[in-house]
Amino acid sequence: MNATAPVLSDPIEMEVFSNRLLSITEDMGNTLIRSSFSTNIKERKDCSVGLFDIDGRLIAQASHIPLHLGSLMGSVKATLARYPAERMQDGDAFVSNDPFMAGGTHTPDIAVVTPVFIDGAARFLTANVGHHSDVGGPTPGSISGGARTIFEEGLRIPVMRLVRTGELDEDLLEMIAHNSRDPDERALDLKVQVATNQRGGRLMQALCAQMGTDAVARAIDDVLAYTARRIRNRVRDMADGSSSFTAWLDDDGLDGEPVAIRATVTVAGESLVIDFAGSTPQARGAMNVAESALRATVYYSVKTLLDPGLLPNQGMAACIEIRAPEGSIVNPRFPAATGARSITCNKVARALFGAFAGLLPPERAMAASLDSVPVIIFSGERRRQDGPFVYLESMGGGIGARHGGDGIDGAHVHVTNTSNLPAEALENEYSLLVDEYALVENSGGAGRYRGGLGIARQIRATRDGVIFSARSDGHKAGAPGLAGGLPGGLARLLRNPGTKQEEELSSKAANLTLAAGESVRLETPGGGGVGAPTERAPQALAEDLAGGKVSRDRAQRDYGAALVEAALRR
Amino acid sequence: MYRIGFDVGGTFTDFTVHDARDGGLRYFKVPSTPADPSEAIETGLRGLIAEFGIAAADISFVGHGTTVATNMVIERRGVPTGLITTKGFRDVLEIGRQTRPHLYDYSIAKPPPLVPRALRIEVAGRLDAEGTELAPLDEDAVAEAAKRLGAAGVKAVGICFLHSYLRDAHEKRAAEIVRKLLPEAYVSTSSEVLPEFREYERFSTTVINTYVGPRMERYLEGFLGRLTGLGVPVPPYTIHSNGGLMSVETVRAFPVRTCLSGPAAGVVGAAEVATAAGFPDVVTFDAGGTSTDVSLIAGGVPAFATSRLVADYPVRMPMVDVHVIGAGGGSIAWIDDAGALKVGPHSAGADPGPVAYGRGGQEPTLTDANIVLHRLDPVSLLGGKMKVDEAAARAAIEAKIAKPLGLTVEQAALGIIRIAVANMSRAIRSVSTEKGHDLGRFALFPYGGAGPLHAGAVARECGIARVLVPQEPGTMCARGILLSDISLDFVRSEIVEATEASWPGVMARFDAMAAQGQDWLEASHVPPADRTIQRVIEARYKGQNHEVQVRLPADGIFSLEAFQRGFAEAHRQEYGYDVAGRAVEVVNARLKAVGRVRRHATRFDGADSALPPPRETRRVHFDTVWVDTPIYDRAGLGAGLHLSGPAIIDEMSSTTIVEPGQSVRVDAAGNLIVEIAA
Repeated sequence: MNATAPVLSDPIEMEVFSNRLLSITEDMGNTLIRSSFSTNIKERKDCSVGLFDIDGRLIAQASHIPLHLGSLMGSVKATLARYPAERMQDGDAFVSNDPFMAGGTHTPDIAVVTPVFIDGAARFLTANVGHHSDVGGPTPGSISGGARTIFEEGLRIPVMRLVRTGELDEDLLEMIAHNSRDPDERALDLKVQVATNQRGGRLMQALCAQMGTDAVARAIDDVLAYTARRIRNRVRDMADGSSSFTAWLDDDGLDGEPVAIRATVTVAGESLVIDFAGSTPQARGAMNVAESALRATVYYSVKTLLDPGLLPNQGMAACIEIRAPEGSIVNPRFPAATGARSITCNKVARALFGAFAGLLPPERAMAASLDSVPVIIFSGERRRQDGPFVYLESMGGGIGARHGGDGIDGAHVHVTNTSNLPAEALENEYSLLVDEYALVENSGGAGRYRGGLGIARQIRATRDGVIFSARSDGHKAGAPGLAGGLPGGLARLLRNPGTKQEEELSSKAANLTLAAGESVRLETPGGGGVGAPTERAPQALAEDLAGGKVSRDRAQRDYGAALVEAALRR
Repeated sequence: MYRIGFDVGGTFTDFTVHDARDGGLRYFKVPSTPADPSEAIETGLRGLIAEFGIAAADISFVGHGTTVATNMVIERRGVPTGLITTKGFRDVLEIGRQTRPHLYDYSIAKPPPLVPRALRIEVAGRLDAEGTELAPLDEDAVAEAAKRLGAAGVKAVGICFLHSYLRDAHEKRAAEIVRKLLPEAYVSTSSEVLPEFREYERFSTTVINTYVGPRMERYLEGFLGRLTGLGVPVPPYTIHSNGGLMSVETVRAFPVRTCLSGPAAGVVGAAEVATAAGFPDVVTFDAGGTSTDVSLIAGGVPAFATSRLVADYPVRMPMVDVHVIGAGGGSIAWIDDAGALKVGPHSAGADPGPVAYGRGGQEPTLTDANIVLHRLDPVSLLGGKMKVDEAAARAAIEAKIAKPLGLTVEQAALGIIRIAVANMSRAIRSVSTEKGHDLGRFALFPYGGAGPLHAGAVARECGIARVLVPQEPGTMCARGILLSDISLDFVRSEIVEATEASWPGVMARFDAMAAQGQDWLEASHVPPADRTIQRVIEARYKGQNHEVQVRLPADGIFSLEAFQRGFAEAHRQEYGYDVAGRAVEVVNARLKAVGRVRRHATRFDGADSALPPPRETRRVHFDTVWVDTPIYDRAGLGAGLHLSGPAIIDEMSSTTIVEPGQSVRVDAAGNLIVEIAA
C-alpha cells in the first residue's frame, strides 16, 4: 500500500457500499432508458443519472455520455443556490436547462433534480439529464452551429419547481412541451425523468434504512476520500512541470479563420492546474463551451489519461483547478450561443491530451483523434409519403494511436459515444439510400502505431427536395501525430462524388436542396499515428496493404520502400 | 430405459442419468478434454455405464450442452472465412455501431472482425427497403470473388446482402455460384441464419455461424462416431441458446445457435425444478471458479433476450437472458494504491488456482478465504481427492491483505467474502430490481460449485428470504438437458404500420413459418400430439426504434383490434404507460416450433427422516466468532428433515452453508430450502 494512502475508516465497508451505490445509479439509468419514449434517450442512450449529497457533492453517477457530467453537477449546484435545502419539501422536483442561469451545457439537455428526504430532512439529491431532440427555436433540433445568441436556441428554463410535494405542475409541463416540435415526446420523457429520480430516492432511503444513515455518511466520506487519494497518486506520479498544446477548430461556426483552443497543464506535487489562457475569444456562432461543459471535458480527459477506472464522484475534483479566461470560447459571456459545443469540447480534449503528452510517460500518451462530432442532417418527405422526416446522424472517425496499439478505426471519441442508425433502418423510414458506409483508405496517420481510420458515409436522395446540412470540422488540418507519427487524414464533404458534377462543400454547409439521384458524402478525419512510420512492424503494414487500409503508393511515401518490401515479402 | 444429459464445461464434463423405470437420478463427472471435447464424453459415458451397470442399448435419450462453438470464437480457432457482401458495405463488420467499447479506456480495442478486410469482397446488386431490385446481382463478380477467396485458402464463406431479410433471391443465387466453385467450402447466407433487419447484427451472426461451421461439423462427426462405437442406439440432441433441443442436422446448419448452450440448459432446468418445488419465481445464481451467471425466472418462465455479445461480437437470436460477471472462487483479492480492498476481476482460474491448492498460486483468492474460515474443508476437497494447504492460504491472506489493512486474518478473509458477495449481489439486482422486479417475492436458486457456498450471504444482501438448493448443484446444466423440449425459432422481418390493409400480410408471415416449423418437427420425429407453435409479434410506436413483444393466442388467430389491445398492454407492462392513438409499427414476426419431450417422474431416495449424526464437527468462522459446526453428507439427509444453522452440507459437486440464525429443510424432491432470517 502506498505510504500516503489515507486511513479509510473501513475499506471493506466502503467496497460493499460502492457496489450498493452503483446498483442505485445503474437502476436509475436503466429506468430512464427503458421507460423513455424518444429515440434519442431510449435508443441512443443520450442521458445520464447521478446521486448527490445535500451539500451538492457528487456521490455516484451512471453515464453513457461523458459531457453530461457537466449538466448533472451544474444543475445540482444551481438548484441548491436557488432552492436551499431548507426550502425544499418532500416530493418536490426541479427542472432546468439554461447554460447561464442553471449550469446547463446546451438547451436540449434538460435536467431534473429531486431531493431525498430521510427522517424529515433533505439529505441527498437524485439528478438526471436527457438530451431532448428539440426545444424550439428557428432550427429543428435547437443546436444550429449558426445561432448567434442563446435566444436562437429555443426555450430557456431557469431552475423551476416542476413537482410540488408530489403534485406535478401540469401547466409548466405543458408550457415546456409545447415549445418543442414534438410535444408528446417532451411530456412523456420529462415524466419519466421525474419518475427516475423518485425511484433513485426510494432506493437511497432503503439503503439508509438497511445500513443506518450515519454508516452511509461515513461510507460516503470514505468513497470520496478514496477517489481523491487515487487521483492525487496519479498526479504525483507525473513529472512536475508545465506543458501546453493548441488545438485548432476550422472556424467558429460561421466560416472565417481557424480558432485556437490552448490548454496549459501544470503539475506541482499532487496539484494539477489546467489553464485555457490563450484560447480565442468567444465564437460568433454556437461553438461556445459553457463552464459546466468545460468542467466535464476536463474531468473526462483526466480520468481517461490518468485512471480510466476512477469512480466518477466529487473526489475527482480534489486536486484539479480549472482556469478559463472570461469572454473566451471556453468561458463565454451571456448571451453566447452554445448549442454546437460538442465539437469544441472534443477540441478541448485534443488540447488537453496534447498538453498531458508532455508530462506523461510515453506509454500513457495518445495521439490526437478525429476530435470532432461530425453531424449530417437530412430532412424531407418520408419514404412512404406519410409525413416529413428529420434524420440526424453523428459520425465517428479515427481514434489516435497509442504506444503499444493502433488507434481504433471508425468510432466515436471523447465526450460522446452514440450508435449509428443501420442503413436498413434509415432506408426503410426515409427517402434516402446509403451508397456506401466504409472506412476511408489512407486516413489513419502513419506511424509505428497507426492512427484509426475515418468513416465515409455516402447518402443519395431518392426523391426531389431533400434538404441537407452538415456540421463538421477537421477539413483544414489533420489530427496531429505523436513522437514522430504522422497526422491523420482530413475530413471532406462532397456533393455528387464520382460524377462530373462533383463539388467539395464547406464543413458547415447548410440547407442545400438535393434532387432525386443527387448524393452527398462525408469523410470524417482519421487519427494521428505514434512513433516513426519506419518502425512499424512489417506484418502490421502487410495487413494494412492486403486489406486496403493503406494504399501501396501511400505506403511507399509514408513508410518507405524498404518497409513496404519487407511487408510484401511476408 | 435411461435418459442421459451431459454438459461439456471448461473444467469438467458433467453427466446426469435419469432411470425412466424407477425415476432415480444419478450424477457423474469427468475432467474435460478441451483439445477434443468428445473424448471426455466417451470417457464419461463408458465410466457411468460401468459404474451404474447400464447397457448402452437401454439408453433412450442423449442430450448435450456444448461450448465448442463459443470457445472457437473466444479463442479465434475457427476456419479462414470469407465474406461476399453488397457494394459499399464490406466495412459494416468492422465499424459495427461506431461506438468504442469502453468510454474511458482506449487500450480496449474493438474485436478484430472474424473475416479480415482482404477477405471481405463487395459485389454489385441491390435491393431497396421494399425488396425491390434496384440493381441486378453481378453473378460474374460473385464467381470472381469465390475464386479469389478459394485461392486465399478460405474454408467457409458468408453471404450477406442488404435487405436480404425481405427477399433472399440474390443471396441464394450467390450461394449456388459459390458452392459450385468451392464445393468443399461451408457456406451460410444471412437470410437463412437470421432473416431479420439491422445489417450489422445480421452480418455478425452469419459470419460467426460460418466461421465455426466447419470445425463444428468435424466435432459432431467425432462425437457421433464415439456414440455409435459405444452402441448408443439413439441420435443425440444438442441444447441451444433458447434452452430447447435440436438435432445434429440443425446444429450443422446453424452452429451459432449453440453459443449459450450449457448456461441455457441450467436455467431451463432450474425453472422446472424450482416450479415443481413451489417456487415459480427465482433468480438463478451459478457461481463457478472464474465467473458467475445469473438469470431471472418469473412465473416459471426464464427471461429471454434477443441478442447478446459472444466474445464481444453481437449474436442476435432468441436466447435465455444470462448475465455474466467475472467473480468466482478463483477471484483474486488485492489492495490498490489508494488503500481499497478489491476482489477480482483477475482470477487465478484453475491454473495456478488458489494458494491452498498448492499448484503455484501466490495470490489469495475467494476460495482461500473460505478455506481459512473453514467454510470449505481445510484438509481436503472433492471427497478427499484433493489435499488443501490451509497454512499457505493463511500466510498469503495475512501478508497481502490483513497486515497492510491492519486486520486479523479472519477479518481479512471475512472482508474478501463480503466484497465478493457484494459484487455478486449487484449482478443479481441488475437482472431483477433493475428490470422492475421486486426481489422480495423471489427465491434464490444457487448452483455451480460455489453457488450454494455464498447463497445465504447473497440472499441476505439482496433481501431475499429463501434459498432453494437443488441436488448436486454442480451438475445442474446436465440435469437441465433432461428437462428441455425440442424447439426451433423462426423470424420474418418487415416494417409495416399495423392497419386493416396491412394486417392480413402480417398474419401471412406466420403461415409460411408455421409450415416450416411443422416440417422441422416432422423431421425431428415429434408426434403431432406433442407439437405446439408459439407466435410473437415485435412492434413499436411509430417514431421509436425499440420493439416490445406481443404474444399471440395458442391457435394463432389474432385480430388487428386484439393486437392493438395486446400491444398497449405489453407497452404498459414493460414501460409503465401506453400512448393512446399513436400509430403502431409491426417489425418482426417470431415463431417457435416446440416438440414436447415427455418427462418421467423423478424419485428422491431420501434416507430416513431422522437426523443422522454429522460426519464431523468443525470450527467454522461466521460473522464474528468461531463456532463448532456440524458437517453433514447431503446423501444422508432425508425428505422432511429440518435443522438449524450453523451447519454445512457437503455433496460431490458443491457445499451448502447454513449460517447461524438460518434454518434448512429437505423437501420431498430432495431440494434444500434455506430460510434466511431477516
